[in-house]
Amino acid sequence: MSTVVALWKRGLKAFIRNKTGLIFSLIFPFFFVYVFGAIFKNDFIENPIAYMLSGVIITTVFESALNLASSTVDDMVSGFMKEVLVSPAKRIYVALGQLLSAATVATLQGILILVVGLFIGIEFHDITTPIYVLVSMIFIGIVFSGVGLFMATKVRNGQTFQIIKTAVTMPLTFLSGAYVPLSLLPGTLKFVAYFNPMTYATAFFRMIILEKTNLSTAELIKEGLVVDINGFIITPFMTFVVILIIGVAFLLLSTISFVKTDFSKLNRSAMDGNAIWS
Amino acid sequence: MKPIIQVKNFTKRYGDFIAVNDISFEVEEGSVFAFLGPNGAGKSTTINTLCTIFEKTKGALLIDGKDVSDQKSEVRAAIGVVFQDSTLDAKMTIEENLKMHSVFYNIPKREVEERIQFVLELVDLVNERKKMVSALSGGMKRRVEIARGLMHYPKVLFLDEPTTGLDPQTRAHIWEYIIKLQKERNITIFLTTHYMEEAEICDKVAIIDGGVIVAHDTPYALKKKYTKDTAYINTNNEAELENLLVKHQLNYKKKDGYYRVEAEDLSGLLEVLSNHKDNITNIEIKKGTFNDVFLEITGKKIREEA
Repeated sequence: MSTVVALWKRGLKAFIRNKTGLIFSLIFPFFFVYVFGAIFKNDFIENPIAYMLSGVIITTVFESALNLASSTVDDMVSGFMKEVLVSPAKRIYVALGQLLSAATVATLQGILILVVGLFIGIEFHDITTPIYVLVSMIFIGIVFSGVGLFMATKVRNGQTFQIIKTAVTMPLTFLSGAYVPLSLLPGTLKFVAYFNPMTYATAFFRMIILEKTNLSTAELIKEGLVVDINGFIITPFMTFVVILIIGVAFLLLSTISFVKTDFSKLNRSAMDGNAIWS
Repeated sequence: MKPIIQVKNFTKRYGDFIAVNDISFEVEEGSVFAFLGPNGAGKSTTINTLCTIFEKTKGALLIDGKDVSDQKSEVRAAIGVVFQDSTLDAKMTIEENLKMHSVFYNIPKREVEERIQFVLELVDLVNERKKMVSALSGGMKRRVEIARGLMHYPKVLFLDEPTTGLDPQTRAHIWEYIIKLQKERNITIFLTTHYMEEAEICDKVAIIDGGVIVAHDTPYALKKKYTKDTAYINTNNEAELENLLVKHQLNYKKKDGYYRVEAEDLSGLLEVLSNHKDNITNIEIKKGTFNDVFLEITGKKIREEA
């Protein structure tokens, strides 16, 4: 158990020490809020800044959880994982430590943006909202840490991994409704978006942060807070279940895959991609 | 002396390729053991299998009586490993690296502080304790790794090319630590190196080539067996010297005005030459080196597959 705690602390320390990363992780979301908020200003959204911010917060949590968990690849390349490998530490605890630290740091980043957001447009009227918001962020953080760690264990090449990661996160981000409302997407992309777990996560999170949980389904559709697949409405409850299933699946997959991964095949001296993981 | 590492009929195959072919050897407790071989000879395969990273194909490998395949946790707790490439966490300080290690190895909390102090003193890094690993020189990093490898008081310390890429001063220091460890803590050191003068100061040396152990003995015995001392003699009376050498059945080669004589028994050769001493204008004696031993045993051909 202490292994989990130690790795968790390590992730937090690295986050706090990386000042540049910290600043940019705050600048980018607000840049997006500004740009996309200006572009997609439309009348049926009563609070566009809060609407955009909610999407940006959950996207940030999702992206950093995935990035941080998959940075386990860096630990493999740097050799740190090799040290873990020859130690008596249980691999499953190592996996859990990596997952939890990624989820925690991702949630912290979400909270930072949220705190700034409270000054520029997000308002909570209900005392329970912050709790739901926090729980949702932690939940999304853990789910996508699982996805990130799973990707990390499947890496064969440290360099192409960066490209693959971008290729995964970009569409998941931009086809989720977080920046660009789904209703504005062309048919094909909209269809793709229905398969994007982030679409549901964003809709769900937005509903909570904008305190629209009491709205009727019809009103939610109008405000774009639930996913409407050609008339078939994914209710908030179904959304929650979908994410939960994805989360549990990837947590299991990543942990199993991490325990089984043969780190010994790692060859750091070779710069050639195939040799890094083969 | 009881053996702390026992390797019996160890074979490792990768598909059709046999990396290590039925090797057996033992390492005595408290000794410094050098495992040598050209690149691609099966050295890394053996060391990685002993460190529980690779799975063996056949045979038995025991460390302190524990099987490296069936008792992985016990073996891991009993060994310290310093890899060729750094495995430190560069984003953390020396102290944090050592603390992390103590968690992985279940070192009791109350002992951690004392052990950190002890291992850092050993490698002269007490004052650098709070420094970030990324800010350290290559030699310092290696010392941190050795210190870390000792945190859990292992019985065997594996050092994979501990001095490669280091300057002569740092190399000398690293060796000081290694010898100190062996003497003071009775830790068994299992190391690989490409520096033959380093192999020479070990207690025992094994040379692996083509997946089999081709030599296993003390450096002294190997030198005696595989090298000859050579004398290079200049003389102003060549005919007399040649007669003398022939008379004592000593083979010689004449080249560029000097005579090259190989001698198994150096004192015997010197006695013979003393009869000729008035005519000798110059004499140089070269002792066989461990480098000669290595090249003699493994051949001089560069390994293409490596």
